[in-house]
Amino acid sequence: MARMKFLCDAERCIECNACVTACKNENEVPWGVNRRRVVTINDGSPGERSMSVACMHCSDAPCEAVCPVDCFYFTDDGVVLHDKDICIGCGYCFYACPFGAPQFPKMEAFGSRGKMDKCTFCAGGPLPDNSPEEYAKYGSNRLAEGKLPLCAEMCATRALLAGDGDTVSEIFRERVTWRGASGFAWGWGVAYKKPGIRRGYEVEGKATGGD
Amino acid sequence: MSHRAQSGAAHRRIIVWSLLSLLALTLLLPLIPYAVAYVAPVAGGVPNPGSDLWRAVREGEAGTTQVQGVDSGILINASGETWRHFRMQQLIPLGALFMGSVLALIVLFFLVRGPLRIQGGPTGKKIQRFNVFERTTHWFTVSIFWLLALTGLILLYGRFVLIPVLGPAGFGLTASACKEAHNLFGPMFLVAILMLFVTFVKDNFYARGDMMWLLKGGGMIGGGHVSAGRFNAGEKIWFWIAVLGGLVLSVSGLILDFAVFGQGREVMAISHVLHGIAALIVITVSFGHIYLGTAGVEGTLGSMTNGYVDEAWAKSHHDRWYAEVKAAGSAEHETAPVDDGSPARDGVMDTRG
Amino acid sequence: MFAQLVDGIFWDIALWVFALGVLWRILSIFRVRNKPDYSVPRGSGLVGAIGANLRRFMPRAEMVSRTRLHVVAGYLFHLGLFALLLFAAPHVLFIEEQTGLGWTPMPYWAFIVAAQLAFIGLLLLWIHRVMHPVTRLISDADDHIAAILTFVVMLTGCMALIEEFDGLRVLHRFMVELWLVYFPFSRLMHAFMFIPSRAFTGAWFGRRGVKA
Repeated sequence: MARMKFLCDAERCIECNACVTACKNENEVPWGVNRRRVVTINDGSPGERSMSVACMHCSDAPCEAVCPVDCFYFTDDGVVLHDKDICIGCGYCFYACPFGAPQFPKMEAFGSRGKMDKCTFCAGGPLPDNSPEEYAKYGSNRLAEGKLPLCAEMCATRALLAGDGDTVSEIFRERVTWRGASGFAWGWGVAYKKPGIRRGYEVEGKATGGD
Repeated sequence: MSHRAQSGAAHRRIIVWSLLSLLALTLLLPLIPYAVAYVAPVAGGVPNPGSDLWRAVREGEAGTTQVQGVDSGILINASGETWRHFRMQQLIPLGALFMGSVLALIVLFFLVRGPLRIQGGPTGKKIQRFNVFERTTHWFTVSIFWLLALTGLILLYGRFVLIPVLGPAGFGLTASACKEAHNLFGPMFLVAILMLFVTFVKDNFYARGDMMWLLKGGGMIGGGHVSAGRFNAGEKIWFWIAVLGGLVLSVSGLILDFAVFGQGREVMAISHVLHGIAALIVITVSFGHIYLGTAGVEGTLGSMTNGYVDEAWAKSHHDRWYAEVKAAGSAEHETAPVDDGSPARDGVMDTRG
Repeated sequence: MFAQLVDGIFWDIALWVFALGVLWRILSIFRVRNKPDYSVPRGSGLVGAIGANLRRFMPRAEMVSRTRLHVVAGYLFHLGLFALLLFAAPHVLFIEEQTGLGWTPMPYWAFIVAAQLAFIGLLLLWIHRVMHPVTRLISDADDHIAAILTFVVMLTGCMALIEEFDGLRVLHRFMVELWLVYFPFSRLMHAFMFIPSRAFTGAWFGRRGVKA
């Protein structure tokens, strides 16, 4: 059984935001809500890196754990989805999520947020697959059509990978090997004030789907 | 030494030493740049941008993003996991344990010790303990507190207790109703707590005899008379727990309720932690307060419902207060006289009423 | 099923009972004639009627210290309720749907603040009614039901605030229907009666030259 995961290769991400736009368009996401976002660290400085992040569909999903009404569920592929009909808009999933995936259409006094919306791995929701009701509430259900999420499909540099975790990891491992684990050119930083060939790195934590 | 002998041995030595030197140089020379990098300070040397970057990300440093939202620039929010662990693994189970065990202890205490009776039995003669305004303030606070406590507990425990009963959709509806009611009544609780504070604070400061009362356990174990003023040490402790806990609840609640001022997740999580802990403490101590005010001590409930207590009750439990009331020249009444709402002075029948 | 009844026939019944009931109560009181007053009028009845209506919005000077809580809580409740009923956005939309008449609602936060003030007022008033020895004795079931029913209407309204669960909206509407049916037969009629009541007393004494 496939275990769906996202992996964003920060060495390739060029901050074009195509993934953000693709997701928003494909899923008709409400005004003010962005399921996916690109974050740039050290913007403008040497060592600038960009990462595209949305819901990572964690194995031990904190959102599911803290929800007071237990509106989250897992598909067989490991995709984390939720039921908007039950959601009460309390915001706890947003507090717990390490990646800030849950989004809310409103931000008003007295805790009125509206129903939580988040990346569904283009897998829709609890309503019948590819029905108009499902599309209106949750966006498109590409997984039911045998397709992968549109953000990864649209990525200009193939920085964002989505799909079965084993396949995605294998692709990434190939890249890291090809780039060279210690391809860091010593002295270029002193001589030319730039790090030159980027060095490989380790990405740890739940982002890789491991522990 | 002959030249030939000397050159043979020396020759060998020279060759060996040369080879060793060459080997050493070949191996050591390339290490010089590494040594230079090692001893050079970070400012002059070149740090590894990769690990620094990811360390910063894991520590929650914000980057830039095109998405306008609170905390949008933060890639990894570490406080989320801490908060999740606290709420699910600590607050919920330990809170249930705390509340349940205190409740069980109270029931046990009642079954074993029974209610505290008035020494010598009630005389039938009453004096006023709380006036209309004090009682109204108390019950006003009680009603808001109960509504908030009930809705809050449903939000905390409902997932485990009520979903099996109501089903997911039914509980979603219930939880939404509870969340809205809780969020709306919350700010009112601040008003109530402030009213309560202003109404009752003057008799709730430390007075001589409070320590003795505490040391004797208020006479709850073993009986016996313990001296007290208008409020005994136990009541004073409850007052300050309720007021201070209530203030923590109100302030943290207001931060949670009005998330429109750009509070990040960390602020909200911390507020929630304080809110949850304070709530469970105040609720649990309120069990004791409710017990003592109703079944636990005979003749007490009347003080808060109609404002009057038996004189024997007053002498048993608040003898110093009773003496003050008597000294102020009161006349006792067997039936509740008209109360004009002015502070309890002497319970004299008011001819204006 | 229940929701259809509440949105349909129950609403019609409630409105009709309310309208006819209120009308019947008002007419039946006005049908009772007074014996004619043959004394020489010393002042104007009309002035007395209007004056009493206006003056009785505040307590007499001698009574102020005794009625502070009541007056404050009373105004908090009534003004809050008035603001809530007529200027809360969901209500404005509802009235517009039903009658076609629309107006600008309050901002969201103002709506909530009005609700809170109304709740505080109502709770204080009802608790005071029970705590005060006199009002406790003279209050009957009608008084308590009126207060509690109004509280329940407001509470169900605030539970349905985010308007995302139809069951809560239906519950609120059902409580409103019960309230409307209860209204003409209860103390809640004071909403219509206070003006003629004050007018009558004011006119009666005004005609005799007394400020009532």
